[in-house]
Amino acid sequence: MGNPYVIIGTGAAGMAAAERLRLLKPDALIQMMSIDTDSHSRCMLHKFLGGERDVKGLFFMEEDFFAKKNIMWGRGQVAKGVDPAGKRVLMENGYQPYEKLLIATGSVYGIPPIPGFRTSVNVFGFRDLSDAQKMDAAIKELDAKHVFIVGSGLVGLDVAHALLERGVRVTIAEMATRVLPLQTDETSARAYQELFEKAGARFRLGIGASDSVVDENNRITAVRLSNGEEIPCDFVVCAAGVRPNLAFLEGSGLKTDRGIVVDEFMRTSDPDIYAAGDVTALSGIWPNAMDQGRIAAANMCGQQQKYTDTFCIKNTINFYGLTMLSVGEVEPKEEGSQVFTRECRNAYQKVIVRDGMVKGVQLQGDISHSGFWQYLIKNQVDISGKLAKKSVFDLGYGDFYGMDELGEYVYP
Amino acid sequence: MKRIMIDPSKCDGCKSCMLACMDSHRTDGKTGVETLDFKDPANESRNEIVNDGKGGYLPMFCRHCSSPKCMESCMSGALYRDRESGHVGYDEKRCGACFMCVMNCPYGIPKPDVTRTKIIKCDFCKDREEGPACVAACPKKAIYVEEV
Ligand SMILES: Cc1cc2nc3c(=O)[nH]c(=O)nc-3n(C[C@H](O)[C@H](O)[C@H](O)COP(=O)(O)OP(=O)(O)OC[C@H]3O[C@@H](n4cnc5c(N)ncnc54)[C@H](O)[C@@H]3O)c2cc1C
Ligand code: SF4
Ligand code: SF4
Repeated sequence: MGNPYVIIGTGAAGMAAAERLRLLKPDALIQMMSIDTDSHSRCMLHKFLGGERDVKGLFFMEEDFFAKKNIMWGRGQVAKGVDPAGKRVLMENGYQPYEKLLIATGSVYGIPPIPGFRTSVNVFGFRDLSDAQKMDAAIKELDAKHVFIVGSGLVGLDVAHALLERGVRVTIAEMATRVLPLQTDETSARAYQELFEKAGARFRLGIGASDSVVDENNRITAVRLSNGEEIPCDFVVCAAGVRPNLAFLEGSGLKTDRGIVVDEFMRTSDPDIYAAGDVTALSGIWPNAMDQGRIAAANMCGQQQKYTDTFCIKNTINFYGLTMLSVGEVEPKEEGSQVFTRECRNAYQKVIVRDGMVKGVQLQGDISHSGFWQYLIKNQVDISGKLAKKSVFDLGYGDFYGMDELGEYVYP
Repeated sequence: MKRIMIDPSKCDGCKSCMLACMDSHRTDGKTGVETLDFKDPANESRNEIVNDGKGGYLPMFCRHCSSPKCMESCMSGALYRDRESGHVGYDEKRCGACFMCVMNCPYGIPKPDVTRTKIIKCDFCKDREEGPACVAACPKKAIYVEEV
């Protein structure tokens, strides 16, 4: 029957690719493998840590996916390397030959080089279910009351939210002067900061951790901040950035820079090897990982699909019932920008326009019907004509309304 | 797949479709638009009629797109393609309320519900044998069902 199509990784990109491969190749052998013993949506990890969902509740494909799609899955199996000349993946005990290979190994978190951080036993990251499980065990074992978190990005606040739900107090240090610095400005950040503080979180903004106090069991018992303050804690969580997970490819000869280098067909420097998702460094968000996975799969089957929807500066946020959409620039990046803001109770809106085109949007409070903003920004639609007649805040898809012959909406 | 086709030129903005949608998805057990509690935020319409600024109206209805950006960006599996009907279904129980679908629908159709724990999106009245309630309620035939 020949060698299987092999996919390393059962995250967003790997699973989307597997589904597409099966659709296009009903009879092909498909072999997946993942360090993850359970395939899961990382966007819901905090729901596991917070006790809201069990492992099964983190799965994001249809039930019994692997059985129904007749896809083999090496659960918990680690790829140690890739041998493009031999067309095989190096496994812990042996080789897995492939017809075509997709590398969808995501990202890994980094632990900052703060004394004690890389050597202590109670420093965690938050990327995989196993991280959440380790943290869960640590909470129970240590009867944790207080946790120190490095970084107040989306991942840091996800962790904070989950821990607060469990009655664990958190202190969050952030180098920037506001929370969620990539998605917010000062106003929208303050709203989230206040909600977290109300729930029991403490923030140290514009301040980094610089040292730690480690006990005889190799546990950090307190973190020292750059301003000299000492914060006692039961464990530490690092949520200050990730990088593509490609160390295992060393020696493979595959071209890499920050991520695995791919062309617009998601093909690597080897014609039989493709890559998709965070590992390419093209994006670090879910929708783009899925999209890349589907496109890679199509091309592995001989199609010629290009990855074109590359825009990825976009997020939605939902903490304590306060929702937010943030797309594009959060502050104007160039001179000559118009900045429109509107504020009322429980709502804040900001639109940055330059040369007649929307460069950035933040909507906090009500994000109903807001999907058109991303379209305007990523396609750089000229809206100057519309603005002559109405406020930028009154724009909607209705201003660009159109339909094709099958009744699907289109833009003019 | 069946799609609710739209002829905006026929719409006179009466919003009967919105009321019918609210009535069709209400959870208080009652029926009939005259018994709708308009102040109950749980009664939200899945469709909308927008003024076009030129005296006309633009019906906003989920297209159950051939390449649905909402579903393609869903991180929980809550949005799925229904094999039988071809529509883009939504399983509230699986939804993680991340609202990426709200951001990724280019037409701004789905929205978070008031509790911010789920989304409001057209389900083609899948449990209603006669088909979508909005279509039945439109006096102008500005919306109608067609096989596409
Ligand atoms: C806490 C958290 C919250 C997030 N929230 C959001 C959000 O709200 N919205 C959003 O858009 N994005 C969010 N993201 C980002 C999103 O989860 C990622 O962009 C997405 O998961 C990337 O998918 P991927 O398939 O590239 O990698 P991953 O989903 O990370 O999957 C990688 C897979 O590769 C496997 N693997 C790795 N190395 C090996 C190896 N050597 N051998 C075998 N298997 C291996 C892993 O076990 C895993 O199965 C969040 C991320 C985190 C961590
Ligand atoms: S919600 Fe938007 S993207 Fe999804 S099917 Fe409906 S119209 Fe299409
Ligand atoms: S809000 Fe729910 S349906 Fe929408 S993308 Fe998130 S998980 Fe999917």
